[in-house]
Amino acid sequence: MLTRTTLATLAVSALTLPMAFVAPASASHGGNGDVRTSGSCSGRADWKLKAKPDNGRIEVEGEIDSNRSGQVWHWKLKHNGSVSARGSKTTGGASHSFRVQRRMANLAGTDHFVFRAEHAGQVCRGTISY
Amino acid sequence: MSMHAGFAGLPPGKEPRVTVPRRPWANPLVQFVTASLLLFGVTWWATGIFSQRAARSEALADARITTELLAHSVAEPAMPKGLIAGDPGAIDRFDREVLARLLVGDVRRIKIWRGDGTIVYSDETQLIGQRFPLDDEQLSVLNSGATEGGLSNLRRRENKFETEEGGLLEVYTRIESPEGQPLLFEAYYSAETVKQRAVEVLQPFRRITVGALLALLLLGVPLLGVLTLRLTHASRARERLMRRAVEASEGERRRIARDLHDGVVQELAGTAFALSGTAREPSLSPEHRQHLIGWSQALRRSLRQLRSLLVEIHPPDLNAAGLGAALEDLSGTAASAGISTSVSVAGVDGAPDHVVTLVWRVAQEAIRNAVRHADASHLIVEVSGDERQVRLMVKDDGVGFDASAPVTDTSYGLRGLRSLVEDGGGRVQVESGPGVGTTVRMAVDRL
Repeated sequence: MLTRTTLATLAVSALTLPMAFVAPASASHGGNGDVRTSGSCSGRADWKLKAKPDNGRIEVEGEIDSNRSGQVWHWKLKHNGSVSARGSKTTGGASHSFRVQRRMANLAGTDHFVFRAEHAGQVCRGTISY
Repeated sequence: MSMHAGFAGLPPGKEPRVTVPRRPWANPLVQFVTASLLLFGVTWWATGIFSQRAARSEALADARITTELLAHSVAEPAMPKGLIAGDPGAIDRFDREVLARLLVGDVRRIKIWRGDGTIVYSDETQLIGQRFPLDDEQLSVLNSGATEGGLSNLRRRENKFETEEGGLLEVYTRIESPEGQPLLFEAYYSAETVKQRAVEVLQPFRRITVGALLALLLLGVPLLGVLTLRLTHASRARERLMRRAVEASEGERRRIARDLHDGVVQELAGTAFALSGTAREPSLSPEHRQHLIGWSQALRRSLRQLRSLLVEIHPPDLNAAGLGAALEDLSGTAASAGISTSVSVAGVDGAPDHVVTLVWRVAQEAIRNAVRHADASHLIVEVSGDERQVRLMVKDDGVGFDASAPVTDTSYGLRGLRSLVEDGGGRVQVESGPGVGTTVRMAVDRL
């Protein structure tokens, strides 16, 4: 019989293991005041995240490139820790990817955005600040 | 005391000409056009003011309706839970859903306030989360649920992002959050709209008022012109009649004076002369001689009085050269009343006849007043002049009167004197006081 300590260790490992495979993000600044960042998901997919000014707002664009079409991904965009938008999208096209764009309020101070997408246990999570 | 009316007492052709200066303002047509233009200006100004007020009121009413529509039909139904707590996700969702539907027409800014003055939403997202105390009117709207508005005070801190030239009109009303909390919904409109509304309100109104005034002017000017012409003709006809009446009166006076002079005066002069001659007869007793001398003197006094009367009834032909003699004759009335007189005339050479006539007429009136009312013992008549004007002074040492006392019926002669001088284009001054005599001064330009 597994001890309580062993169970707890397994549970934490199960939760943190996918995250361990999420590669560290690389951030860069574009030419038009936009900020980009990208990284790898827990599986074989990659994610990209971009934020740029849009007429007093911030347009946040998240992209998942899974190399396989037809996958249904559940995604979520958070703004300063609060869910701003969520939905489902299916990968497709020549790039076997999907992309979501949302306009966010440009609040006082630095705005932090999180893009999270899940498919069959594979988790993608990117963050960007603007 | 009496006053001779009109031109009485003056020789034909010597009437003081009552010339009315050619002042354009006296013309009724000019007065009408001026008054119309003035009315036009006042109407233009007043319609501008009233239309501005009406337009502001109308624009505010329009803004109220729009604000209520935006608040209750757009913002309130779309408001997500968490917005009033400042949840960024709720702000994003609300912003994405309603922004395009709120900033319609001339709406320039939207703010949604919590009761504590925190802005929970604005299209200017930098304002979200900031807190500015609500004023009394905003609090009143929040409590009552009414809709109010007015011109924005752009110097307030919450309006630091407003750069609209010409100002803003702000209108606020109450809405409710999904949590049931009252919020103040505020919409800002461009004040240019008010100006545009003013123009829209003013243009047709001005067209009507200006058109009506112009029509009145176009109709009134010819009518008034015709009426003025008729009045002028009537006035000239009346003047002609008056002149003829005066001339007739003059002719009658002249005839009476001539008859008296050629008849009674000559006979009295002859009789006085004969009495004087008879009185010198050596055969007469001293008593009879004294009687005859007395009668002769009485006749000569009567003769002098009669001559003065004749002068009054029909003055001699007056000119600068004869003014001294004419005044001497005039002062005969005073001499007959036992008043010693002295007459001096200087500096009137070349003075126009109408000026000389006026001087004589004023002297006549002043002497008459002195004889009848002054109880004087001495009278001075002095005429002086220069190249610019002629001056007359008639001074007595009589009882005088209070010149500052209110004008009464008994001062009719004085008023007549003033009227006479003013009609003749001169200036008169009367100085007097109880017990100090009276001095009448008159000056008239030689022109």
